[in-house]
Amino acid sequence: MESEKQNIIQLRASIMDLNEKELIANLKSDGNKEKAFQVLVKTYQERLYWHIRKIVMNHDDTDDILQNVYIKVWKNVDGFREDSSLFTWLFRIATNESLSHLQKQRRHSIVSMNEISDYLTDSLESDVYFDGDEIQKKLQLAIIQLPEKQRIVFNMKYFDEIKYEEMSEILQTSVGALKASFHFAVKKIEEFLKEERK
Amino acid sequence: MKKTDENIENWFGNLKKGQPFRVPESYFETFADRLKVRIEEEEQPNKKRSLFIYLKPILMMAASFVLVMLLVSVPIKKFFPSGKGYIAQRQLNTDSIDSASLIPATLISYFSEGQFLSAVSDVKELESDTLSTDNLADYIAANYSEYDIIANN
Repeated sequence: MESEKQNIIQLRASIMDLNEKELIANLKSDGNKEKAFQVLVKTYQERLYWHIRKIVMNHDDTDDILQNVYIKVWKNVDGFREDSSLFTWLFRIATNESLSHLQKQRRHSIVSMNEISDYLTDSLESDVYFDGDEIQKKLQLAIIQLPEKQRIVFNMKYFDEIKYEEMSEILQTSVGALKASFHFAVKKIEEFLKEERK
Repeated sequence: MKKTDENIENWFGNLKKGQPFRVPESYFETFADRLKVRIEEEEQPNKKRSLFIYLKPILMMAASFVLVMLLVSVPIKKFFPSGKGYIAQRQLNTDSIDSASLIPATLISYFSEGQFLSAVSDVKELESDTLSTDNLADYIAANYSEYDIIANN
């Protein structure tokens, strides 16, 4: 029974792999590029959106960044070397674009790391699209206090449940370092929430 | 690390793990269309922008020329308030000095004394500050003998 389940999983993975290869081939061909791109957008837009949103918090910034990510893909797909999966490639672009956006904010306002968390807190406080309850808001405020890398790792692991191996490819960091980042992030969030309870 | 994972599960046990954020209505349904419009915009060359790019060097040169002119004319106006008049006056003075000094001595022999004196008196009028009658008499006495003067009359 267990081996049958394994076989089904492997079969699904190979079908997905086949589909992805076909999708990449179509993205690189002039005749099918537009249709294939529509499929790519529809397939990954939600996952990418939430990944970006958790880094920059604000909906409008997320919308801009998500569009920039897809424009980059549209322009550079011919150069995609297929060393990694499309999912990994897209997430890597999305992560880099989000971090660049925060860097720009930092340069623009000549602010330090602490002030970036202030900027994100303001974004969260003024976000009309935040639907969470008090506990969720406290958790988000705790996450905002984390250093950039720990914040991304925590979100990817806790909310998106991405495997460390996949995360390692996206963030180009070793699995060990990612585990350590997650461990420290959890400790800091615990401390932050304890302080809040007092 | 396993302990950390268990810990977080206990700690955040009361939390709903879903997204606390939401998106505007029909956001994902319309995203692909909005993206398509933006890509089309990006791929169309912006005519106004390209025209500005072509004109940019000419505009910059014109601006530099105006700036240089300002840098030259402002100090001139400041330090020489009469401006053009002052320069013209200096030019006139220089010309009159030159014309007096450039009268060749050999030409004097072709004029009568009266013509010579009247010509010199014209110059003298112009340059009363620089050339007196005494100076002129001294000059003639030094360069011409009485014979020369009488013979030419």
